[in-house]
Amino acid sequence: MVTVKINGKEITVADNTLILEAARDAGCEVPTFCYQADLMGLGSCRMCLVEIEGQKKLQPSCITPVLHGMSILTDSSTVTAARAGVLEFLLANHAMDCPVCDKAGECELQDMVYKYGPAKGAHAETKFKFHEKDYVLSPVIIKNSNRCVQCTKCVRVCREVVGVGVLGSVGRGDHQEETSFLKGLLDCDQDGNCIEVCPVGCFMRLPYRYKARQWDLKSADTVCPYCATGCRMVIEERDGVVVRARAQHGVGVNSETLCSRGRFGFDFIGNAERLTTPLVRKDGVLVPSTWEEAVAVIKENLSAFEGSRIGGVASPRLTNEELYLFQKLFREVLGSPNVDSSARWDSSGVEAFIKAAGMNEGGVSVFDCMDSDAVFIIGSQVSEENPVTDYIIRRISSGRRMNLVIASPRAMKLDSSAQTVVRHNPATEGALLKAIILTLNENKLSVSAGINAIKETKLTDCVASSGVSLEVIKRIADGLKNAESISILVGTEFLRFPEGIDGLDLLKDVCRKSLGKKLRILPLLDRCNQRGAWEMGVHPGFGTGYRAIAGRGMGTHAMLEAATRRGLDAMYVAGVDIASMYPDAGHAREALSALKFLVVQDMFLTDTTRLADVVLPSSAFAEKDGAFTNQEGRVQTIARLKNPPGKAKRDGDIIRAIGQSFERSFGPDNASLVFDEIRREAEMYKEVSLVFNNKRNIDNKLDNKEALVKASSALARGFSAWNGGAPSSEETGDYPFTLMTGNHLFHSGALSSNSASLSGLLRAAVVEISNEDADEMGVKSGSLVRVKGMTHESDMKVIVRRGSKKGVAFIAENFADTPVNRFFSRGRSGARVSITRLG
Amino acid sequence: MEKALLKNYGNAETHKIDVYIAGGGYVALASAMKMQSDQIIQLVKDSGLRGRGGAGFPTGLKWSFIPKDPTIPKFLCCNADEGEPGTFKDRGIIDFDPHLLIEGMIIASFAFGASKSYIYIRGEFAFGAKRLETAIKEAYQKGFLGKNILGSGFAHDMYVHRGFGAYICGEETALLESIEGWRAQPRKKPPFPALSGLYGKPTVINNVETLSCIPAIISRGAKWFSSIGPEKSPGPKIFGVSGHVKKPGLYELPMGTTIRELIFDHCGGMSSDRPLKAVIPGGVSAPMLNANDLDTKLDFDSLASKGSMLGSGAVIVMDSSTCMVKTAYIINRFFSHESCGKCTPCRDGTPWLTKVLKRLEHGEGRIGDVELLERLCSNIFGRTFCPLGDGAVMALRGFIKNFREEFQYHVDNKKCKAA
Amino acid sequence: MSGKFDIVGLVRKVIFSDFARGLAITLKYNVSRSITLKYPDDEKWVPYVRFRGAHTLNRDPSGKELCVACELCAKACPTKCITVIPEEDDTGRGIADRVAKVWKVDLVRCMFCGFCEDACPTRAIRLGREYELACTDISSTVRFKDALLKPQPIHEGIAGGVVAKARFEKTEAGIRVVADTGIIKKRAL
Repeated sequence: MVTVKINGKEITVADNTLILEAARDAGCEVPTFCYQADLMGLGSCRMCLVEIEGQKKLQPSCITPVLHGMSILTDSSTVTAARAGVLEFLLANHAMDCPVCDKAGECELQDMVYKYGPAKGAHAETKFKFHEKDYVLSPVIIKNSNRCVQCTKCVRVCREVVGVGVLGSVGRGDHQEETSFLKGLLDCDQDGNCIEVCPVGCFMRLPYRYKARQWDLKSADTVCPYCATGCRMVIEERDGVVVRARAQHGVGVNSETLCSRGRFGFDFIGNAERLTTPLVRKDGVLVPSTWEEAVAVIKENLSAFEGSRIGGVASPRLTNEELYLFQKLFREVLGSPNVDSSARWDSSGVEAFIKAAGMNEGGVSVFDCMDSDAVFIIGSQVSEENPVTDYIIRRISSGRRMNLVIASPRAMKLDSSAQTVVRHNPATEGALLKAIILTLNENKLSVSAGINAIKETKLTDCVASSGVSLEVIKRIADGLKNAESISILVGTEFLRFPEGIDGLDLLKDVCRKSLGKKLRILPLLDRCNQRGAWEMGVHPGFGTGYRAIAGRGMGTHAMLEAATRRGLDAMYVAGVDIASMYPDAGHAREALSALKFLVVQDMFLTDTTRLADVVLPSSAFAEKDGAFTNQEGRVQTIARLKNPPGKAKRDGDIIRAIGQSFERSFGPDNASLVFDEIRREAEMYKEVSLVFNNKRNIDNKLDNKEALVKASSALARGFSAWNGGAPSSEETGDYPFTLMTGNHLFHSGALSSNSASLSGLLRAAVVEISNEDADEMGVKSGSLVRVKGMTHESDMKVIVRRGSKKGVAFIAENFADTPVNRFFSRGRSGARVSITRLG
Repeated sequence: MEKALLKNYGNAETHKIDVYIAGGGYVALASAMKMQSDQIIQLVKDSGLRGRGGAGFPTGLKWSFIPKDPTIPKFLCCNADEGEPGTFKDRGIIDFDPHLLIEGMIIASFAFGASKSYIYIRGEFAFGAKRLETAIKEAYQKGFLGKNILGSGFAHDMYVHRGFGAYICGEETALLESIEGWRAQPRKKPPFPALSGLYGKPTVINNVETLSCIPAIISRGAKWFSSIGPEKSPGPKIFGVSGHVKKPGLYELPMGTTIRELIFDHCGGMSSDRPLKAVIPGGVSAPMLNANDLDTKLDFDSLASKGSMLGSGAVIVMDSSTCMVKTAYIINRFFSHESCGKCTPCRDGTPWLTKVLKRLEHGEGRIGDVELLERLCSNIFGRTFCPLGDGAVMALRGFIKNFREEFQYHVDNKKCKAA
Repeated sequence: MSGKFDIVGLVRKVIFSDFARGLAITLKYNVSRSITLKYPDDEKWVPYVRFRGAHTLNRDPSGKELCVACELCAKACPTKCITVIPEEDDTGRGIADRVAKVWKVDLVRCMFCGFCEDACPTRAIRLGREYELACTDISSTVRFKDALLKPQPIHEGIAGGVVAKARFEKTEAGIRVVADTGIIKKRAL
């Protein structure tokens, strides 16, 4: 600790604190452009110059650490004059087109000139112009270099946080321009973090271009509705249209970063194709109707069936309150145990996953995970499924020494931060984990029950099926052995291929019990409230807060299976597009058509709604209040910004209306009362704090631990381990590629395909293959290929991914015109395809 | 005085190692290898050698900052990015006596334990770079470089790194960035290169001339060196004289030679009968001196007391036909073109100065322009990241201080006084 | 009068001198020049340039819209009667590629303070010299960009402060009084 004097006020700060931070702690304002706490210090803008007594020159406070006994002046006349001088220089070549600039009103340069600038500028020469017109860098980013203040935050955020390094400085001196190679973004994440950090109007959102002024906007604090990272963001509307989403520095886990989905994907809210009125099927055609009629039809039909012959599937994108009401409606009003929250995953796999990932042990902060000595990421394409988690991992791992291991069949951006990168065969996470366990077990760890179970398993078999060399596995095992604390980040591949879960469960036991390590497991999920949906009890196997329930219901798989056998009469589907998400399109369609009565509640007319008897228009995240639980178990509230379009209603109100048509007292009546009930029902949520402080959380930085769910002792005893079969090995002859699916960087589920901006980034499905395969086939990124599976074939463009595992093809799961689920069929784990070059 | 640095200047053969050895080359290296490294540093300290690149920092002191820990790799970088207009002294050594530099570098590396050294040479010196590369190859063959140098067990590798012609690469940290493959922009200091330099390792950056002095110091002793010139800044110094003198060129003279001696005794006086008007004593970033200051001694301290600096020792002589506004404009244009773009005052300030000077020069001056220039100078000076901006401003301030009336004449009469 | 007999007053009353004086004033105005404007039949007042009447939007000499839809007028407006919605149009419609998609002023709410004029960075918005704003249809008090961009009936170059010859003109919106700036007379107020 050192003591320094700032403007005569003594303050004690930690060693190596920057003068700037010390001054801000002491409450002295120091203006900056190029400084950002998370980025590499630069000291180039010279706005933060301060006077240090005894030193002739002014010193940049953003790169100068304090020394004991320093006496610093932040507002002496020399300092003020220097600031004014710097601002005069910045304005000398600044375009000064504030009336046209989208940043005007929230521009840091404007604010600073207003506050610190010279009364009058003396620059009367012709200004240097990079270009006359703004140029489009990407479908979402437009650039005007004439306004640049050369803080290079964009370059640094691109390299250090996003990890793509597309932006760089071109030219020298006053001709220096921060742009990309050939002024086009070739390999960019399109996340617009450069826009967010830009202090002036140099990088701008193209979708927001010339839409509004900052003072026209009404805003609400919310959480991103895409993946489960749970990024805090602010959405803003003008005249009922949401025009912008932005993140705030120092707020939420994400701080200032968002991914392309979060920053540009909100525009599905204003999509003209939103459903605005209830539809009821009359004479085989869906016709517009009223809410009274729709609810009456639902009541009439549903009361005709026995509870156990009704099924419900709710979207993991609904709020906790809505999901709670949904399962309450089924369990208490309709008397049905059949509720599930996903069309994609098997319910018993989910149960095993929850147990293996220890989700009942309470929330795990990603920052705590990154504090471990070894971090092991497996089963997740984290760079694409949870991009902001990827940013957090990259930023923290570059700052400290840790053993970061990434295991995935596909190459990803985060590989560059990892110490060990493992390319294993698709769906062999379990074999890889078992191989690691067996390697760890070589020197006979204290035998636990789990290890006995795999005693029979041969290391060589595991190694062979995972396709990873023994040497790499040994290296990972050594890394785990040498680490004091371990974090395992597990992704959705475990849910797609539940065969691997027992390996994870076993590794957890080995690390904790046999090796005595401090182990954290963080599930990486791809829907914003997936964890919340499970914790609210929208699952056939357990109730709210993972409580045991009396009778086990049917999951989505079982429901569809039952429907085809006429064992299920009616289904109520809230926000899930089963027909295009269930991994066997034909079966799902057949099952849904076989139902006697189908109610679908959705924002858009999807394949599933087209089969429905009653369609209820629901609302987007911007139109409701509630809370999401992210993958860490952090409960965060979303606030309403606008009203749903037309006669559409909030999902909670719809569920409540249906419930009340059966039972007058069904409730509670509003979101906060529902949450109070959740607190009473679920032990995990009892002490969760929903208070969101929209300011930088200084005490524990971005990590608000108050919001994490607590451990639940009520883990149902009946929690089953995965008991499905082992992956069936099939002939690979005609179909040399294993097809993987998941989320694309720009797309996630049905929401994103309704976003014009995201569809602008990637409209049609692409198939991604490794560079080795591409070289063999003689195709390049952009070539047209035919993907042929056993049940379906389709033509699409190919994208070559350097470093992926050979023989792996990837198609994202959400493209309406290329439904990847048609390649899959029930009963077979995974799908195999052949890829042939066209033209 | 017997020449130590330029003794082979103009000789067509001395770049070959055999000729160099025949002339007594690499003897200093052999004797240095028998010394303790601390002894060498002490010797250099005793000699009073100060850096010839411009700042005049004592070389021995610089070496002694390097941590002694033998497990840390250390680097030596030779700054041969001779970019200052008017300067051509290093080129004289590189082109004709590359082995002198190499010998100096090996001794320096041995002194503080550098395992690798880099010669950062500017891109335009293609000829010199080729000579250096050949010379290094020869030195490897003779065993002066490589695994076990002269049987001492000391291993050292040397590389030539060619720049691409940016003045800023002459700034030591920008030079390091450039070697590492980044954009040449200065780094923040501290940490100083002596602790965290090239690839984050302790690094010494020395000028060509500085390193070329080392063999002579080793072979002739510190006393010999410190006896030449004034006590505070001793030693031989190469002056590169250009401008309106009869015999421009490189002159190796003792430190402390006066400007008058240099111009009239050594360079044969002014090239025409027009009187001398101004002298820039150390490259264009050094503030100029006028005809009244001709008796100033050319050494670090004497020039500093006159408000100028020795810089690189590039003496530019101007006679009365020179328009000071035009000269200031040309010099400033150079600085604004070479500004790296990192910090605001230099990036946006120097082009502004250039624009005003250009206006003045073209007879479009406005009332208050001279005051504007002065105000801009004070806004830039001391607030830039590296000395480039300061250099530009010091030069211009020198012009305005000595020839204000000429600037004012341009403003008032829209034409030049000198023409 | 405190009881004192006022002979002078009596005489005045007798000879009707006050009455005569009063009549004199009337007679004087009877022969002096009339200050009543024969509006709208014959004459119309042309205000000074500084007059703040209904809004107009200007174009630059080459006919491009000066308005860049910066919304500063809307921000400056104390009654919030201006609505601007910008859009991008780089076809050369405006001086910049940002132009107004909607530019709307509600003249009933406007208090003609002229803050919008002061705020305008391109001098696009001016409060013009149109003052006949009375109407029977409230919707006609909201004016849109297209109407505002039409050239002013009275050119900016005319200093104003005069009375011009007026005539009626039938338009779709009704009968309007048009000032003929060719025939003007100065009139002291």
